[in-house]
Amino acid sequence: MKSFELVEPATIDEAVALLEPDDPGVRAIAGATALVPMMKARLFQPTRLVSLRRLDGALRGVHEHEGGLRLGALATLTELERSSRVRAVAPVMSRALRTLSNVRIRNVATLGGHLAHGDPHMDLPPVLMTLGARVRAVSRRGERWIDLNDLVLGYYQTTMAADELIAEVHVPAQPTGARTWYEKFTALSADDWPTVGVAVWYRTDAAGSDTTRPTVMTEARVAVSAATERPVRVPAAESALTGAAPDDATFRKAADAAADAVEPLADLRGSAAYKREMIRVHVRRALERAR
Amino acid sequence: MADTIVVPEAPVADADAGRALREVGRSMPRLESTAKVDGSVEYIHNLRLPGMLYGRIHRSSIAHGRIVRIDASAALACDGVHAVITADDVATIVPNPYYGPAFHDQPILALGKVRHVGEPVAVVLATDPHVAEEAADLVSVEYEPFDAVFDEVAAAAPGAPIIHDELKPAGMFTDLEHVAGRRGTNVALDARLRTGDIEKGFAQADQVFEHTFRTGKVIHATFEPMVSVAEPAGPGGLTIHTASQSPSFVRSEIARLLGWPENRVRVRTAFLGGGFGAKLYIKLEAMAAVCALLVRKPVRIALTMDEQFYTITKHGATVLIRTGVTNDGRITARQVETYWNGGAYADIGPRVTQKSGFTAAGPYDIEHVALDNYAVYTNDPPAGALRGFGISQLVWAYERQADIIARALGIDPLEFRRRNALRNGRKHATGTVVYGMEVEAVLDRLAEKMEWHRPFDRGSGTIRRGRGIAIGVKACVSPTTSTAAVHVYGDGSCAVHTSTVDMGQASDTTLAQIAAEVLGLPTPDVRIVHPDTDVTPYDMATLGSRSTFHMGNAVRRAAEDVRAQLLRIAAGALGVDMGDLECRDGAVLSRAGAKLTFREVMLARFAMQAGTIVGVGSYTPSYTKPDPRTGYSPNITPFWMLGGAGAEVEVDCETGRVTVTKLVNVADVGRAINPASVERQLCPACSICRAS
Amino acid sequence: MSARHERAVAFTLNGRRVGATVATHETILEVLQREFGLFGARESCGQGLCGCCTLLVNGTAVSGCLYFAAFADGAELTTVEGLAKNGELHPIQRAFVEKSGFQCGFCTPGFILMTKELLSRHPQPTEDEIRHYLSGNLCRCAAYPDIIAAVKRAAELMRA
Repeated sequence: MKSFELVEPATIDEAVALLEPDDPGVRAIAGATALVPMMKARLFQPTRLVSLRRLDGALRGVHEHEGGLRLGALATLTELERSSRVRAVAPVMSRALRTLSNVRIRNVATLGGHLAHGDPHMDLPPVLMTLGARVRAVSRRGERWIDLNDLVLGYYQTTMAADELIAEVHVPAQPTGARTWYEKFTALSADDWPTVGVAVWYRTDAAGSDTTRPTVMTEARVAVSAATERPVRVPAAESALTGAAPDDATFRKAADAAADAVEPLADLRGSAAYKREMIRVHVRRALERAR
Repeated sequence: MADTIVVPEAPVADADAGRALREVGRSMPRLESTAKVDGSVEYIHNLRLPGMLYGRIHRSSIAHGRIVRIDASAALACDGVHAVITADDVATIVPNPYYGPAFHDQPILALGKVRHVGEPVAVVLATDPHVAEEAADLVSVEYEPFDAVFDEVAAAAPGAPIIHDELKPAGMFTDLEHVAGRRGTNVALDARLRTGDIEKGFAQADQVFEHTFRTGKVIHATFEPMVSVAEPAGPGGLTIHTASQSPSFVRSEIARLLGWPENRVRVRTAFLGGGFGAKLYIKLEAMAAVCALLVRKPVRIALTMDEQFYTITKHGATVLIRTGVTNDGRITARQVETYWNGGAYADIGPRVTQKSGFTAAGPYDIEHVALDNYAVYTNDPPAGALRGFGISQLVWAYERQADIIARALGIDPLEFRRRNALRNGRKHATGTVVYGMEVEAVLDRLAEKMEWHRPFDRGSGTIRRGRGIAIGVKACVSPTTSTAAVHVYGDGSCAVHTSTVDMGQASDTTLAQIAAEVLGLPTPDVRIVHPDTDVTPYDMATLGSRSTFHMGNAVRRAAEDVRAQLLRIAAGALGVDMGDLECRDGAVLSRAGAKLTFREVMLARFAMQAGTIVGVGSYTPSYTKPDPRTGYSPNITPFWMLGGAGAEVEVDCETGRVTVTKLVNVADVGRAINPASVERQLCPACSICRAS
Repeated sequence: MSARHERAVAFTLNGRRVGATVATHETILEVLQREFGLFGARESCGQGLCGCCTLLVNGTAVSGCLYFAAFADGAELTTVEGLAKNGELHPIQRAFVEKSGFQCGFCTPGFILMTKELLSRHPQPTEDEIRHYLSGNLCRCAAYPDIIAAVKRAAELMRA
């Protein structure tokens, strides 16, 4: 690694003032667990890193917010994994965090860095996409909210400008009876990046006392990651689910729709054809496990 | 669940003395246990010398081609860069810079051409490792690319791109002499074995099975990445500190390259953070040595984990196996043709080819056998030994086919193996009579632990279950020599000087137990002096399952030499017959009850509390070189090793994922010196090979 | 290297207040080795995967090969060298010796420190908790059965 200018601002305003809109050599850094390997591989050679570790409390903490969650961008993945608030609102997140990298990385890596890195293998983006989460991004120009579905554009590319920072993530209150699951499939070693990640979310209408009417899914969300160049929602699978009963036949139909719709990329974890099959299998399994 | 069983022999008394063994045969913790848990254990990885430069390798970006031009100017311009070394610089002190244990084919730095991606082309030396790393990237090399070949079968075929102009066997191994001077081929060695009449054997068969099995390359990934630190030692000397499994070889090979006598090259090692066959022969030592001599400063070259992938692998192999059987399950003939993907440089590949190759028919009693093994150059990184010295590639082929044959014949796979097992007293295909190979005991124990005769639930739906067993045979690598010295110091304390390298297999403890047994000392009182070629005697290398046997016998002989000297001195001092004395509890005891501690023996010998008594022992088992036409040798190995494994697996039929649910490993180990340590070697050996 | 690319850092190392001048791109692992001669944390994979470089920062385990030395400023660091007290091995170290939870030993300090974090949160860990914490520490010699036995024994010794 090459040396670089390291600045450690104390406030968000100072931090965003130190970021440069047009200089790719200037980046914000929090846990550094994703950037250091890229720097060691000389894929990224910064001229200035803006460390967020001395920032005041603004970007920290796990807060309850209108029945949902307000998660500080500097919350470590371990804080999220252990948080009873997270578990209460979004148990699917708590579970996903258990197999996300390893304890040492989770102790240091932050939620904001995890999302801003834009790596399609990350576990939380598909989960947060199905939970309806948004991020609040700040810059010298002010702040804006970005839907998680719109955050990642491709390998290591996001819609964030070079001088924008993720300040927090908002997970809305989840409707009663919402069913969720994240299915992570690793084809190589257990702790490898996933070959396919599938997050699902659906809710059913309340059958109430009318037992003659079958339960149907009134809304469904399916997101696929890792096999693709960015985490994607799969509308074809979602529409196969919406309005149908949460049964095996429907789940199979949605899984087939997902396998047809998604364009997987071949790499050392599998051919495109294999990954397409794995999407089929794991969308179905995720739906079954969510039920 | 993994289960490891050592087939034990009954506790045996020492054949010489007729007394019970005290130290040998006992499970005991490693002598260095505390240092390994408090962080103080010595690895060469930790070594920093004053004024040391950090070397970083610039590597080839292409698989095969001519080097047109090397431009190091940008690298040299970096602040902190001391020098950039290329083959031209090497030539100023090593005119013929090709090294290797089997062939002199690997240049210290690429000379004229490159033969694999990642081949070292230049070394940047800098005062700071980060500067060296940045500057190595700035070296610019222009290539004229040639066609490359990666598949071992294609590389052996006519018309393949030729990787080396001429075969240059090293001369150390007499088994390789016959290929010297061959040109226009990528086949570095063809090793044959013929016994019986293979066509007659197939004619006797009711059915003939023919299959091709392939295995891929595997990386050792030792956690202590390869590291060598070289420093000039006075005007005519050189010291190399290196994480090596073969310090004696490093000394002789570096001396040969420099044209120096061996006594001017000192090579020392410490504990190794893993070896598994990766750290054998020359890896970084020649490069570090030349750099240090050129700049007259200590130079450290240490690889990153990724760089190890360019340095050495296990062989990929293609095995064509043809087996004739009678309908009642007797093997009448077996023909095996194996192509070993040796990569761009031979390293120890030709020896792997030959030493494993002759076991390709398996631990089976077969009258007609024809084996052909080809060590093949390709444009992959060089291949060498990895836990088993080439055996697992062959076991994969012959045991997979054993199951296929058994199924086709409707015979239980275990029973099929029993019907064909090679038993003690029978001739192996090489012509060597087999002894000490308990096939029956291993199969019995496997059957018992696998509950082989109980019905097995094969699963249903998308999860299916299966089970299998396999046995394999390995011959201890031969011919080789070990020498050891045992010192007793002025105060009566004792140290063993050995060039065996402890890389996690607990050899220090095992060898201490052997010396302690002979000298009547508690094992923890025996100090092991780590390999240092200025101090510790020659050993061929720590490889091929040879150390406990070869070095163990050398240490035993050295300790017996010391014991004889102690008893002689004590006999004189006590005025008794030597035959009435024994060593026990750190003292010489007489039958009549007289006692002289070792300390008192030393005083008796030197008239003051001082001096050294040295015992020396060497061990070279006998060996008969195989006939190059037939592979025949009545004495191909000092001993055979037989292992067996059984596994139960679950297959997720929707994803292809295989989960091992039970793994049993059975080995005929003879008498274990340190039984717990033996089990700890076998259990992980099956895990590491499973991952492979 | 300009002054902007260097940092004076002060931290507590194994109970002792220390300081050093570090370059911005240096990892804490490099500084522990260069400035303090501590080699118990070792770089192997260099990617945060193997765990050989594990150390504790403010009581939690981190990968020293990915942790900038500049970030250690003001922190409390513990390496394997800091566990023994008055020449007495820590109970976790004793357990690893007793159960022979290592072979070549290169990964051992990392396993010991990860066990320390595990036992500080789960004094009576279940098999699942042990695997959850240690799954990010690799042993290439594959001494895993002995390591798990050592962790269980360490829990017993620490409760005693």
